[in-house]
Amino acid sequence: MNSELVYSVTDFQAVCNQILDSAFSGVVIEGEVASFKVNQNKFIFFDLKDDESSIGCFMMAFALRFPLEDGMKVRIRAIPKLTKWGKFSLTVQSVMPVGEGSIKKSLELLKKKLTAEGLFAPERKRRLPEEIEKIGVISSTQAAGYADFCKIMNERWGGLSVTVAHTQVQGAVAADQIIRALQYFNERSEVQVIALIRGGGSADDLAVFNDEKLVRAIAASKIPVITGIGHEIDTSLCDLAADVVASTPSNAAQMLTRDRKEVVAALRGDVGRINNLLNTKIDDFAKETRELVADAKREIVVKIATFEQEIAGIVKVLDQLNPEKVLARGYALMSGKIEVGSVVNITTLKNEIKAEIKEVAKRN
Amino acid sequence: MANKKINAKIDELKAGVDWFYSDDFELDQASAKYKELTTLAKDIEKDLAELKNEIKVIDEDFSK
Repeated sequence: MNSELVYSVTDFQAVCNQILDSAFSGVVIEGEVASFKVNQNKFIFFDLKDDESSIGCFMMAFALRFPLEDGMKVRIRAIPKLTKWGKFSLTVQSVMPVGEGSIKKSLELLKKKLTAEGLFAPERKRRLPEEIEKIGVISSTQAAGYADFCKIMNERWGGLSVTVAHTQVQGAVAADQIIRALQYFNERSEVQVIALIRGGGSADDLAVFNDEKLVRAIAASKIPVITGIGHEIDTSLCDLAADVVASTPSNAAQMLTRDRKEVVAALRGDVGRINNLLNTKIDDFAKETRELVADAKREIVVKIATFEQEIAGIVKVLDQLNPEKVLARGYALMSGKIEVGSVVNITTLKNEIKAEIKEVAKRN
Repeated sequence: MANKKINAKIDELKAGVDWFYSDDFELDQASAKYKELTTLAKDIEKDLAELKNEIKVIDEDFSK
């Protein structure tokens, strides 16, 4: 009796796949892309090769997060599989470009594509709210960039409600985690702005911020997004899609907060200025008062002079009416009854005379 | 909430400062107003120094 186990072809192929799956579930391989092609806009085929070997790869188009071209060096996460035609291939779950040249090439291709779609258009950008009180932060809470962000934010301002979504910020799974965090904040609409924070790193470390799905999620966010990724010289596609770009995590904290030191300095400046203003106004009032007093004095002097002139005129007139002055001119003053035989008094400048009237005649 | 209180105080201070530059300025009220604003400015400084941020890391697992 033959005790050997006999498989059907299908069973054997299934067993092989089980063994491969248990031995290499999620194997990560680096290599160069060759014979890249897309069928029906759904299925992607390429070979992953190095100097000596080559393996056929298959993946669904929706799983491709970066544009690929022949010659690009990539790191794939895949499940090895024996197809029903007996061909060994890798079913690719994720692929990321590696190495400066490949990352740059992939970035250029994706940037061209998304620019053409208008994702980076300036008119899409929204301003940060005037008064920010609720901030959503997406970052790794273990990252130095996150610590810098919190330090600067706490130094500058307070009273903010900061909700932090802890995600990975590098590696193959980071993009999806960040996308979920963006969805989390957008579904709740509890924050006024979302800050995507990550400190500096190599091109490979920061490659996640050029992930197409993530870039699209940022562009689609209902809540304005500020990015503070890497160093000043790093610009990712996430930066281009964001509403506001900060050069670093610290700079993002600066852009989201007022500086309490500056506010205090401004308050002191305001109070100092009104103190000076008040002193100036008091001086102005004092000067004005002095001028009014001087004006009043001048007016009084003028009025006195006018009165003096008027009085002098009256005195002159009175002087001319003085009877002594008339007598001095040779006239005489006569008083008494004007009739013949009556005695009248005649006053001259020097004499008092009594005279009898001898005759009274009417003048012509 | 704390920010709103501080912002309201800063707005009050600015309005007070503006009064000194406005046509409503009255010298006999100025000294009292200046004292009020000085006190308010010190109050704001104190509030600002005590203001703390509330940072909450959410429990959500974004790896799933």
